[in-house]
Amino acid sequence: MKEFLINIDRRIIFIFVALGIIIPSLAALRLPIHITEDVKAIYDTIEEVGAKNGTILISFDYGPGSLPEVQPMAIAVLRHSFRKNVKVVGMSHWVDAVGLAQEAFEITSKEFGAQYGEDYTYLGYKTGGGSLVINMGNDFHNAFQKDQQGNNTTELPVTKNINGLADFDYVLCLAAGNTPDGIWIPFGQERYKFKFGLGCTAVMAPDQYPYLQSGQMNGMMGGLAGAAEYETLIETSGKATAGMGAQSVVHLIIIAFIILGNVMYFLYGRQKGGGQ
Amino acid sequence: MSRDQIIFVAFLFVFAVINIYLFGSDSLSADWAGFGTFLAAGITLSLYSFLYKDNPLFKFAENLYVGVAAAYTLTQVWYTVLFPDVVEPLSGLDSQSMSNLWLIVPTLLGLFMLTQLSSATFSWLSRIAFAFVVGLGAGLSIPRTIAANLLAQLEPTMQPITPTWEGLNLLIILVGVVTVLVYFFYSVEHTGPVGVASKIGIWFLMISFGASFGYTIMARLSLLIGRVGFLLEDWLVLELPLF
Amino acid sequence: MLFLRRSLPLIIAFAVGMIGILVYYIPHSGAQALEQELTTWYRIVAAFALLLGIYSLMRLHWNRVQRQQSGWGYSFLVFVGFVLMSIFATYNDGQGPLNPQVIDSGPFVWMFKYVQVPADATMFSILAFFIASAAYRTFRARTPEAAILLVSAIIVMIGRVPIGEAIYHALPEIAQWMMDVPNLAAKRGILLGVSLGAVATALRIIFGIERSYLGGGE
Repeated sequence: MKEFLINIDRRIIFIFVALGIIIPSLAALRLPIHITEDVKAIYDTIEEVGAKNGTILISFDYGPGSLPEVQPMAIAVLRHSFRKNVKVVGMSHWVDAVGLAQEAFEITSKEFGAQYGEDYTYLGYKTGGGSLVINMGNDFHNAFQKDQQGNNTTELPVTKNINGLADFDYVLCLAAGNTPDGIWIPFGQERYKFKFGLGCTAVMAPDQYPYLQSGQMNGMMGGLAGAAEYETLIETSGKATAGMGAQSVVHLIIIAFIILGNVMYFLYGRQKGGGQ
Repeated sequence: MSRDQIIFVAFLFVFAVINIYLFGSDSLSADWAGFGTFLAAGITLSLYSFLYKDNPLFKFAENLYVGVAAAYTLTQVWYTVLFPDVVEPLSGLDSQSMSNLWLIVPTLLGLFMLTQLSSATFSWLSRIAFAFVVGLGAGLSIPRTIAANLLAQLEPTMQPITPTWEGLNLLIILVGVVTVLVYFFYSVEHTGPVGVASKIGIWFLMISFGASFGYTIMARLSLLIGRVGFLLEDWLVLELPLF
Repeated sequence: MLFLRRSLPLIIAFAVGMIGILVYYIPHSGAQALEQELTTWYRIVAAFALLLGIYSLMRLHWNRVQRQQSGWGYSFLVFVGFVLMSIFATYNDGQGPLNPQVIDSGPFVWMFKYVQVPADATMFSILAFFIASAAYRTFRARTPEAAILLVSAIIVMIGRVPIGEAIYHALPEIAQWMMDVPNLAAKRGILLGVSLGAVATALRIIFGIERSYLGGGE
């Protein structure tokens, strides 16, 4: 038994992890979700923008590799925006975000009858990163002369009055990489002083706190838990809320394994070189 | 047959049976969407077979994906960058304003970049393109990094400290930032007061590394939850909750 | 010739680098126009850089196929995926490559949705299993510092999911405080250090001290 626990086959851990997710998913385990101020700040900003019929920019900067974490944020924010008559302009610094952004717009615009060109537009992917942001800040119509469907941005109702980034009432970056701290804040927010919010993968979230306290970012959704909070705020549960039951159970399983590993280490491991 | 071969055949057999049932019972529609879901489930399970051990099914899905993703990138670069920003304006030069003429410069630089693939006679041209990109990138980033990541970060660190909970937190942040910087400052020997400060810095770093590690575990598990959700709801079309 | 191969790139990097810095500080419409033009150029050259990257990847696999190295069949599969997807992209659901991209139908969209998305998403999710196994094997409180790391990770892992509040009502607040105060302090310290390093590297590039982008050879 002792030998077994010290040298547990990793495939046994794999099975525990798999069951820890499959069983709560099958049972659709639901738990009450705690709302944090950082997520509430984004929600409140969208409400404010809605009250004055404003326009926001959403930068879709993630790919299928982080789809389960970030796509629910995109869908929840779009639902909230369309419900409150917030106009949305979408774009991407990440190439494989294009198909995901289109899908998010397709799902949510149908639900609320949002009209393409009037209520929202998707501009597509452009290269350049920071250069693109400077371009957009100085002259938006020059950076994106056309949307992805070939319409002129100077003629589309949703973009014709946007001359630079400062004309957006809010810029929300949905990210799985360095686009907020590497592109949007230094090349955009710093110069054009727009209100900036972030939805990101949990891996990135801890690195963003300095920007929250400095006010360079007014709110943040981190990972699936952040997405679940937003879904709770708009009272429309989606994939993130559904995943929180499994997330809770599997966290407990992993913590149990960590504790077990440490117990074995203190009981036997130290004499045996740590049970590596 | 070896044990692995038996597992491989059994896996394919079970997958086939499940899909025959799903299509037979109309859970999966007999159209492109239904076939797509079937294919996506096959790719998902093939990749998960890696958990047992590396195998041809995993490699098949992995390499097919690499090719598809490369073509996807190429496609987006064409349809939203090269075609509308380069080809279209340059092909209509006569009817457009002078400003389009300037586009010849980055186009040439871009083509210079591609000379890196050619023989040694011309490949030096690519250096000019790289010099432009790297030099301009460096120049644009310097003032912005100083403003956004240095000055804007120092300012909230050095706020007046009041005898309140917020004041205490600000003090802890100040101590943390300073001691972490001391820890990373290798030019001074870490002994005496400097040693104490760097030790405190390590504690702050350990808390933040622990937080990052916890968040990383959380992120990876969320991705797995997403895929399990796909298999249960989109492929097997289960009505949840089952129990 | 040496001037063209070596000195000219260094001069260009210096010139555009200095312009990049100066236009930031000159609040003149001329400077802004120059900045706008240069950043537009940058965006377009960056697109060509992506082409170069894709070409290098495909050439790597092509060499494997040509030399019939072990596993060359898999490299051939990369081509199958690439060529198939490129044909669909060119077809553009009947519109051809000289019209805007068709985004809601056609085989290209289908391939993205049913091949690229599941493959990419699954590959990253596999890490969940390995990180769980690694946590069991290596996450040990060997030293006081390691113990701090371990406790911090556990508090975050419980405090950030709904079950944390059920276990102990203040856990979400404790986790939040940890992120907002000590985590923030350490991350800011790292950020300041990294940013100083980034500025130094950028200056070295502009002044031609750092020149690895020129590649090897003369």
